[in-house]
Amino acid sequence: MADSPVTDAQLIARAVVANDNHAFAELVKRYQSGVRACLRKLTAGNHALADDLSQDTFVLAWRHLKSFRQEARFSTWLYRIATNCWLAHARKRREELLGDRTDELADEDHMDMSHTDEMHADHARGASLKLDLERAMGVLSDAERAAIVQCYHNDLTHEEAAYVLDCPVGTVKTHVLRGKQKLKVALAAYGKQPE
Amino acid sequence: MSNDRRHDIPDTAPEGGDWLDRLLVDDAITSRDAYIADDGFTARVMAALPAPVMLPAWRTPIVVALWSVVAIGLAFAIPGAVLEVGRGAYRLLAAQPVSLSGIAGAAVAMIGLTCAAAAYTLRSN
Repeated sequence: MADSPVTDAQLIARAVVANDNHAFAELVKRYQSGVRACLRKLTAGNHALADDLSQDTFVLAWRHLKSFRQEARFSTWLYRIATNCWLAHARKRREELLGDRTDELADEDHMDMSHTDEMHADHARGASLKLDLERAMGVLSDAERAAIVQCYHNDLTHEEAAYVLDCPVGTVKTHVLRGKQKLKVALAAYGKQPE
Repeated sequence: MSNDRRHDIPDTAPEGGDWLDRLLVDDAITSRDAYIADDGFTARVMAALPAPVMLPAWRTPIVVALWSVVAIGLAFAIPGAVLEVGRGAYRLLAAQPVSLSGIAGAAVAMIGLTCAAAAYTLRSN
């Protein structure tokens, strides 16, 4: 008879009670792809940053594993930590920019606008849609991007997304709605293409 | 994860949101299907984990011994004060009216407290 696979709950119990590093390594192997993919979306395709944040996510998960109460799936809990890591990074980066480089911020705003122009030009050149979508996600606010990534990319329900984002379900719906409106504007050229 | 869960996402856009929904769902499915190879990621995470705090086995007896030495040292350094505290405590106890029923009551109270503490500890475990 084949061995039944060890469940997440069993691995978590071994990691918490026996301080079993191998059990936690198995959890990392199981979820690394999902967490890294989620963070690649949140960072608008910055793979190096996404991997750094993924590493921070798992280190934080290890530190707080005892506080995981199984009230959500383990993957959802990891997405929550990953989103918080990304939000903290985004906030820190913004503070650094606001602190002493206001000019660069203005340049970056200009770059955002030129991004949009560049995006339309890419459409004309027939550049890949995936790249366009990644760039368009960069136009969204942090909260809108996080809500869209959780609801679409991570395939979470609104309730699960609310748990991940630590906000009411209504707020998640609002962020998704606003995000989609912005994406529609940014990707207007795609929407107008004949099917 | 099933793609059927997409039914949870109502199209909240006023009009023409279908193509965007389709685009986002297609992109999500493509991304989910593309498994990201580990390529040493797990090893890097495991190397970055904080080392467990392991207390040496000799730590507890040494701490107990040090506190004992401090207590004995204090007792010898200020013998008068220790003697005075001891006498005061004795006088306080001796002044209490001691009866058989009082002793029984105290014993019952102590047993009750012990049982309650044991029950609480077992329940916590």
